[in-house]
Amino acid sequence: MKVSRLIWVRRISQAFFLCLFVYLLFSTRLPQDVYLDYSLTFADAPDVRLAPPVKFFWQINPLAWITTVLATHQWVAGFAWAIGLLALTLLLGRFFCGFICPLGTLHHMASSTKPALKGSALAEANRQKPDRMIKYFLLTIICVAAFLGLNLSGLLDPISLLFRSLALAVFPALGNALNGFFELLARSDIKILNLLSYSSEVLVAPLFGYETVAFQTGWFIGILFLLILFLNRIRPRFWCRVLCPLGALLGICSKYSLLRLEKIDDKCTHCGACTRNCQGAASCEPGMTWQSPECLLCLNCKELCPEDALAFKLNRPLPVRGPARFDSGRRVVLTGLMAGVSLPFLGKLDGITHRSPSPQLIRPPGSLPENEFLDRCQRCGLCMKVCPTNAIHPAFTEAGMAGFWTPNLIMTLGYCEYTCTLCGSVCPTGAIADMTSEVKTKTPIRIGSAYIDRGRCLPWAGNGSCIMCEEVCPTSPKAIYLKDDFVINPEKEMVAVKLPYINLKQCVGCGICETKCPVRGKPAIRVISAGETRDPDNQILL
Amino acid sequence: MNNTPITRRESIKKIVQLSAGIAVASGLPLSARGKTVFAGETAPTAARDAEAAVNGAWLIDGLGSEPDFSIRDLTRRMFTQAGGMEKFISKGDIVVIKPNISWAQLPHLAVTTNPEVMMAVIELCQEAGAKSVRIVDHTIHDARRCFAATGAGHVAEQTGADLVHPRQSLMKDMNLKGRRIDAWPVFVPIVEADKIINLPIAKVHGLSGLTLGMKNWIGAVGGRRNALHQDIHQSIVDLARFFRPTLTLIDAVRVLAANGPSGGREEDVRILNRLILSNDPVAADARAALLFDKKPEDIVHIRLAHQQGLGNIDLDADRQVQVTA
Repeated sequence: MKVSRLIWVRRISQAFFLCLFVYLLFSTRLPQDVYLDYSLTFADAPDVRLAPPVKFFWQINPLAWITTVLATHQWVAGFAWAIGLLALTLLLGRFFCGFICPLGTLHHMASSTKPALKGSALAEANRQKPDRMIKYFLLTIICVAAFLGLNLSGLLDPISLLFRSLALAVFPALGNALNGFFELLARSDIKILNLLSYSSEVLVAPLFGYETVAFQTGWFIGILFLLILFLNRIRPRFWCRVLCPLGALLGICSKYSLLRLEKIDDKCTHCGACTRNCQGAASCEPGMTWQSPECLLCLNCKELCPEDALAFKLNRPLPVRGPARFDSGRRVVLTGLMAGVSLPFLGKLDGITHRSPSPQLIRPPGSLPENEFLDRCQRCGLCMKVCPTNAIHPAFTEAGMAGFWTPNLIMTLGYCEYTCTLCGSVCPTGAIADMTSEVKTKTPIRIGSAYIDRGRCLPWAGNGSCIMCEEVCPTSPKAIYLKDDFVINPEKEMVAVKLPYINLKQCVGCGICETKCPVRGKPAIRVISAGETRDPDNQILL
Repeated sequence: MNNTPITRRESIKKIVQLSAGIAVASGLPLSARGKTVFAGETAPTAARDAEAAVNGAWLIDGLGSEPDFSIRDLTRRMFTQAGGMEKFISKGDIVVIKPNISWAQLPHLAVTTNPEVMMAVIELCQEAGAKSVRIVDHTIHDARRCFAATGAGHVAEQTGADLVHPRQSLMKDMNLKGRRIDAWPVFVPIVEADKIINLPIAKVHGLSGLTLGMKNWIGAVGGRRNALHQDIHQSIVDLARFFRPTLTLIDAVRVLAANGPSGGREEDVRILNRLILSNDPVAADARAALLFDKKPEDIVHIRLAHQQGLGNIDLDADRQVQVTA
C-alpha cells in the first residue's frame, strides 16, 4: 500500500497539534521558576501570568464561540480565530477534524493502530449509518439550550472534553502513580534504588507537580474517557461520526464547501480501498453520493486509490439530483429543539439560580453571577488544572444538574490564595474575570464567608487553645479576631483561652482557615457561599 | 531509609554518577558518599556548635542609622564583628538558611525575611567556602508562590543557592525528645546540614505574642503542624531544643507591629532598621522582644526556653555589642 505525501502532511499536522495540546496542558500551571525581582516588588508586583497561550484551542473552537454568543446574547471578543476557522470550513470542509482536532487524532490512532475490524466488516462499518444524525441532534440541543441560558457545550465539546479528561483524570492518575512508585523507591533499603528515586525530582515533579493531586469525580471523568476511546472498536472514529457536536457544526458548514471529492467512475474497479480507509463514513466510493458533511478530509480515499479514480478539487457544489429523499434532518432538528428547550429549565429546577443559592457552591474569585456564569462556562477544567492549591474541583451535586462539572472550590482540599488570580487569567470564555491581584484584594472580591462551628472548635468547646484560623487569615485587618476568655475544660476547670470570632465585613471566604483547621474531617471553621461578591442576593450583612 | 535531601541539580549529577557507576560495574562510587542521618537519631552536627551558646553567648545589635544605609554592609559588618563567617562555616560545609518565607507576600510588607539580608548572609557563607547553601522553609502558602513573591527565588537565582521544595517525602519522623512532642515529621534537609543559620523576621503573633527565632522552627517540621498551637509555647521550646542553629540573625529591618503573622498592609509595618545576630537563640529573641516594647519574660516561650536552659533571657551587657552602618 502506498502512503503518499499528502497523508504524511496530515499526519505531521495531527501530531503537531496533539503535541501542542499536551504541551499547553502541562503549561497550565503555576510556573516553578518565575521569581519576582524583589528590588522591583517594593513598588508594584506584576501579577504572575502564564507565558504559553493555554487558551489557544478554545480560541479556535467555533462551538465554544457560537454557544457563548448564543447564551450571552452579545458579541464575545477573543474568538477571531474561531470565526476564521468557520470561514475556512465553508471553503474546505471539515479539515479541522482531519488535520487539527487532538481528540480526533487520538481516535484516529486508537482506531487504526490496532483495528478491531478488518476487511469486509470494516468496509461495512464504514458505510454511512443513520446514527450519524445523533451529532446534529446533540448540536441542536446544545445551541437551543445555550440560547435559553444553559451552556452545555463543554460536556461534549471535544476540546473541553479532552482537556478535562487528560488534566483531571489521566495525568493526575499517572502522576500519582509515578510519585507513589518513587516514594516506594525512596523508602527502599537498597542504595541503588534509593538513588534512582532522586530522578523523580527531575522526571516527575516538573511535569506532575510535587504533591499528590485530587479531583472530585476524577474517576468518573476518566472512565467516560476510556469508554469514548473504546467506541473506536465498534466503528472507527465512532465519536467523530456519531457524537461530536463540533463535528456536526463543522459538518453543516461544509455541506456546500467548495473543495469537493470528484469521482471518475470509469476508472473505479470497486476494490473498496477507499471505503475501508474512510475515517468519516462519507461514501467516498464511486457510485455513491459523497457526503461532504461527513468527510473528515483525511485524504485516505484519494491517496490510497490504486486507480487514481478520486480527486479533491475546488468546485461549485453540484445541485442535488435524483428523487426527493426522506429528510431525517428535519426530525432531528425538531426533537433536538424540544429537548434543548426543556433542558435549561429542567436543569435549573433545583432553584440554585433563582431561589436559594447553594451554600456549598463556591465559585472561583471573579466568577460572574450564577446565570451568566452558566452562560459561559465550558467546564473545560483549565481553572482547575491551573489552581496552585488544587482547590478548584469539578462540581458534582453542589451546583445542581445545570452546573455539573463546573468549577467549585472545596476548602478541605485546597484554598484560594489571597493574591492569586491565575484561574481568571486562563478562563477561555470570561466566566471567571481576568483581574489583577490588586483588584482582587482591594475591592475585595469575596467568594463566600466563614463561620465557626463552636461545638467542634477546640477553644470554644474547652478542648485546648488554638488560633490556627486567626494566624492564617490573610486579610488585613484579619477577618478572624481573638477574644481572651475563660472556658470550662473537660476536667471542669476554668481555663484561659483565646476564642476566635469572625468579622464578616473583612472575610473574603478564601477558605485557608478551613484548610488549615486542626479539626480534621469536618473542620470547625467552614466557608459557605453567602457573602460572595457576584450575587447581591446571597448576602448576610445589610 | 534514605533521608538525604536533594536538589534537582544534584540529582542530575547523582544520576549521571550512578549510570557511570553501573557502567564500570562497580559499586564503589556509590558507597561512602554523603552523610545520612537516620530517623530516630537526634543531635545533628550543627547542634554541637551551639552547645556552648549558653556559656559563651554573645549578641551583636546592628543598627542602620544612616538615612540610606546598605543592608548588605550592615550585615557584613556584624559578621566581621562576630569574628568573620569563617569562624562558623568551614570549607565544604552544607549550610542551611532557614528564613521565614511562609507567606506569599511581597518583601516590603514585612511578612517574610528581607531578601537583602538573606542575600548578604548567603554571600558570606559562599565566601567562607560553603559547598552549598540551601534555602529551606516549610511554607504555609504554596511554596512556589512563596518563592516567587518573597524574593527568595530571586535570591536563589542570583546567588546560586538551592531552593528546597517542601515536599512530603522530605518530612521524616524523628524523635524530638521534647517535653510536649516526641515523634514528629521533620524537614530533613535542616537536620542534615552541617551548619544552620536561622534567619527569621520579627513579627507579632496572635498566640505566641511574637514570632522570632525559636518560633521559626515551626517551619522546619511537617505533619500536623496546626495542632502544635494547642500547646504552642512548650512546642516552640521543644523545637528550639532540637534545632540548635549555629547562628540566629533576626531581621528587624522592617517589622510587622500588628495583624501578624500574615500581615498584608503597609500601615502595620514599622521600619526599625535593626538586625540582631547571636549564637544564643534565647538571647536573640529576648533582645528582639524589646524592639516591640515587650518584656522578654512576658513572652511565654522565651521564658520557658530560659528556664529549660536553652539560653540567656538577660544576657550581660558586656556580651552585647552594637554595630552601626
